Amino acid sequence: MKIFETLTRIDRRIIFLALGGLIIFSLLFPRFLKVRVFPPVAKLYEAVDKIPPDKALILDISYGPQYQAECEPMAYTVLRHAYKNRTKVLALSLYAEYLGLAKKVLDDVTAEYNRNARSRDDSLIYGRDYVFLGWQPPPIIPILGMGESIAGVYQIDYYGNQTDTLPLMKHIKNYNNVSILVALGGGTGSEKWWAQFAQRKFGLRVGAGCSAVLGADYYPYYQAGQFTGMMVGVKGAAEYEELASSRAKITAERVASERMLSLTYAHLIMIAFIVIGNISYFVTRRKK
Amino acid sequence: MKKKIPLALVFIAGVSGLVAAFVPHPLVKAGDEIMRNDVLRIIQSFAFILALSSLVSVHTSKIRTRRHKWPYSIVLLASFLITSVIGLGGGVSGRGILPTQIGNFNFNIQTIYQNVIIALSTSMFALLAFYMASASYRAFRIRSFEATLLLSAAFIVMLGVLPIGDAISHHLPAFAQWILDVPNAAGQRGIAFGIALGGLATALKIVLGIERSWLGGGGA
Repeated sequence: MKIFETLTRIDRRIIFLALGGLIIFSLLFPRFLKVRVFPPVAKLYEAVDKIPPDKALILDISYGPQYQAECEPMAYTVLRHAYKNRTKVLALSLYAEYLGLAKKVLDDVTAEYNRNARSRDDSLIYGRDYVFLGWQPPPIIPILGMGESIAGVYQIDYYGNQTDTLPLMKHIKNYNNVSILVALGGGTGSEKWWAQFAQRKFGLRVGAGCSAVLGADYYPYYQAGQFTGMMVGVKGAAEYEELASSRAKITAERVASERMLSLTYAHLIMIAFIVIGNISYFVTRRKK
Repeated sequence: MKKKIPLALVFIAGVSGLVAAFVPHPLVKAGDEIMRNDVLRIIQSFAFILALSSLVSVHTSKIRTRRHKWPYSIVLLASFLITSVIGLGGGVSGRGILPTQIGNFNFNIQTIYQNVIIALSTSMFALLAFYMASASYRAFRIRSFEATLLLSAAFIVMLGVLPIGDAISHHLPAFAQWILDVPNAAGQRGIAFGIALGGLATALKIVLGIERSWLGGGGA
């Protein structure tokens, strides 16, 4: 019986060690795990896949470093998918502190795509194929203002260019020229503002990608059709990667699918400790 | 007068926002655009200045009076000063008036962000997983029917989102998805309605001048 008493009071350092050990193990020996794709991600994939050539995708990258592990793979895979289809992309961030991460994703995926390009026409050219709009405070201004005029809200882009002089912006004036906006965020809840304001007022289709913590909050928006589709946490990113790989034949590294292993270990160890805690709790309580 | 002018400003701003949402007349639309695109931005800019001066003044006073944990204020002010000088002088990507490169070493805002902010923030957040594991072991005890229900739902969702859930049973991920789609969405929707109604009531109280605690001094 003493063992059960000990098990009700496991030192937290042992829990830390077990969790840390398993996560380090999964990072040292990464293994790719195949995931089953569910409708929220499949619908988002379909919406991005079927963007007409005359319309653009807006990618809102508004997650901070805290949520980078979950949301960054979403940004990479959605952008790769859009580039693969030669969809025009406008990227932005609703917060100044997240611009660094937005720029990183845009630079990396563009460079990756252009490495395989054979000619100038085949390459992605700034201003012609994609634009980084940067940031405009406060978030409500771009969310509502872009419905009237994108260049009116973002008069200069991230790099200081006059936005309305960029070739792409001559065709993309407002939400009428945008097929879908994919909002990726961690803890600010900015994704639902796009649904509450831009979707409701201008009929803009909105897709969301969020951290697992926020996922539960967003299901009502998805059910009501305010979110066309959504990705939740690393699992959502892994599902999108699965579709991008199997349908769009994108061969890039599948970071989220690899991270599913550490997520699996972390969940299993937590479940194991909860079960141990409960069994020992019942045994010791019965004894008393 | 000190209270009447702010109250009148809030009333005008609040009512004009409400009118713009319901009246599609071009004049109202134009007025709303000016409020949003110009007035709001100007207020926001001044709010930034106010916030930053308040930050500096609070921490300077903390250092001067040697209050509890004052050395952290030195770190904060030093970080603030360094990033401000580099950001304002060197520009975002090192194209400003100050040089932000020594040999191959860059110290522009982007470099600081990628090598300092990202590393610190991710480390802080990563620690959460360990505390969550420890807390769930201690707190998740089946002491009542509600706790049992919560724990069962948590186990199903935790296993259902993993590939191992699919291996245990093909129905498990679907059941986890159903929990998220139906009971979870119903609960979340109820909470959202409550928050929205509460927000609406509070906003009306502020616009109509019933709630005045924001003016300072507290109370209605």
